[in-house]
Amino acid sequence: MTSGNRGTWEFVPHQHRGPQQQGGAEDHIYSPKLHNGTFKAGGLATFLGAPYCPPDRKAIREMGAKICFLGVPWDQGQMVRAGTSSGPSGIREASTQYFPYMFEYDVDLISFFRPVDCGDVPIVPGNNDRSHEYIYQYITECLEGGAKVIFCGGDHSAPIPGARALSDFHKTGKIGYLHIDCHLDSAPDWGGIRNTNCSGPSRAFDLPNCDGANMAHMGSRNGLNPKDWYDFFVDRKVRLIPMMEAVERGVDVCTKEIFEIAWNGTDAIYCSWDTDSLDASCMPGTTAPECFGIKAREAIQLARIAGTYGADILEISELCPIFDVSQMSIKLACCMIYHYLGSRAKTLRDRGERP
Amino acid sequence: MNPAKTYAHLFSPLGGDEAENYRAPGQITFLRSEHVPLDAEKLRASGTRFAFVGVPFDEGNIGKPGSEEGPREFRLASQEYFPYWFEYQVDLYGSSADCGDVQMPKVNPELSRQRIYQAVRTVLAAGLTPILCGGDRSISIAATRALSDHIGAGKKMGYLHFGANLDLADSWAGERNVSTCALARITELPNLAGENVAHIGARNSLNPKDWIDLARERSIRFFPIFEVFERGVDAVIDEAAERVWHGTDAQYLSFNFNVMDASMAPGVTSAEPGGLESREMMRIADAIGRRGGVSVIEVSELCPIFDVSGTTSRLAVCVVLRILAAMARSRGEQVDPGLKRPSQG
Repeated sequence: MTSGNRGTWEFVPHQHRGPQQQGGAEDHIYSPKLHNGTFKAGGLATFLGAPYCPPDRKAIREMGAKICFLGVPWDQGQMVRAGTSSGPSGIREASTQYFPYMFEYDVDLISFFRPVDCGDVPIVPGNNDRSHEYIYQYITECLEGGAKVIFCGGDHSAPIPGARALSDFHKTGKIGYLHIDCHLDSAPDWGGIRNTNCSGPSRAFDLPNCDGANMAHMGSRNGLNPKDWYDFFVDRKVRLIPMMEAVERGVDVCTKEIFEIAWNGTDAIYCSWDTDSLDASCMPGTTAPECFGIKAREAIQLARIAGTYGADILEISELCPIFDVSQMSIKLACCMIYHYLGSRAKTLRDRGERP
Repeated sequence: MNPAKTYAHLFSPLGGDEAENYRAPGQITFLRSEHVPLDAEKLRASGTRFAFVGVPFDEGNIGKPGSEEGPREFRLASQEYFPYWFEYQVDLYGSSADCGDVQMPKVNPELSRQRIYQAVRTVLAAGLTPILCGGDRSISIAATRALSDHIGAGKKMGYLHFGANLDLADSWAGERNVSTCALARITELPNLAGENVAHIGARNSLNPKDWIDLARERSIRFFPIFEVFERGVDAVIDEAAERVWHGTDAQYLSFNFNVMDASMAPGVTSAEPGGLESREMMRIADAIGRRGGVSVIEVSELCPIFDVSGTTSRLAVCVVLRILAAMARSRGEQVDPGLKRPSQG
């Protein structure tokens, strides 16, 4: 860990280190040595307690960050109840309750990925197009800075600019697209509007370097999906794993299948994970909590398997803390990312690779 | 169904002047269906198969109040669902009417029960299947009597209930028509034999000894939750449905969602640990729907003031809709796979 030099990566774990410096580079993976009121005194909440870095490719590169966290507090691209604009602050709040060291993988997420929190994308109330443009630009900066992106929404229109950014970044290559959700979200348009939270896969399919053979969906269920959404998957031969099938075959088996599809011959993949794919009993704090979903333990398993494959962009959307109960939803959303990262780190380390 | 043979509702809304405002449905009715008054003639003319009737009756509970808010939240939660079910390739649009709520005189439970009875008789007389949403569990007493009288003494009926409580008190503090007495009264109906009754989900110390004794006395088969867990929901629902449907002319299906684990359904009057998961209930709903007909569907004891993020009302709606969808499929209904969203313009 370096400190002092502007522009270099510096970890200031506010919740693990108080004003009295403990004086060791690895302090944050241990219990605090000094009685200085840390942990409860959170300071400014960043995801993972990671240092702030401006969403600028040069700054990100200089800090050597391999993971950029972005908040996307946007909830006017959707037609269900509002409230997911506070998703990013909810997940940052939840992350203050977790340590960066994960014993399951014997990995320190902080030193392995050198993550940074790039803050929230500045959204423009009332203007979906301009907000999407900012999302696109911020994600592009992170990718150009040499980092993978984890971002938390925000409504499920965010993958539209998100996947477009990944597609443009890999202009000469191919990308895959995964969609985990209780909705199929494959409307050609909604009331004539093309870029809403029900058209993520439709717009991904429109991208020049995203083939339907590298797209897959898991988790759809119940009377939430108009016929044109279903037709999209059937007509374009895009793999669709409804919840019924995921329950019968097992979420782990199905997770492997969709990641194999996305990574088959591609250079990068986008993974869009809507929190309403989870069961309402463990994820009440989402925009459209729905029964018959993925259970918490299955979600962690999903995240661990996802970590063995990796994704260039992982997006967690529709988190809606105002409907949460006892912080269970924001904590689960946070754990989904942590386990993804832990498993990713272990996978890379076992192969002798760096992020 | 869908007598009008219009198909726009199967698809995402088109733009332009025809665009609908999904978040402002106007009148809040069950599954955005047409409001039809509780009148046999008008119901018959509506061409629908199901009639949703709210029963905001809360004067038969012996525990937590609040179930009279059930119908309102049930209707609201139903706005979140589309009529098309891709899992069954069916279209529920136009299959239901919403008759509003049974008008409840306050502090007059006897008159309320008469009105519940009359409402169910009216819907059945019109040839429709009532979907009742309570209200407390005691609404089952008046509603099953209505079904019993409707089919007449020469016919047989079956009764299937899901819940954590057996509700087999002969009387409760001298009262004979409150929630805890529901199954005791129902099993006294002349055309309901004990062999055609099944109860699923009883558990925990919620069931006094006299209830168990009465169940034995009347040969009421109940499947305690441990039996459900050991044998699996598929085996249990098969056996239970076989009892209820075997040789009967009418079947009454009744849900108290405290059959679910408290984590799955906090918004009921008595959220209870150790119950079913939603994916188990979805298999049950599917199995019931695939059997075909049912004469009355009733949901009671929803309690929105204890709900979390609206999840319990959504679960209740989802279970009812899944039964309707599976039933439609088993009747052979299927959306023409060739139907496509009309092009813009």
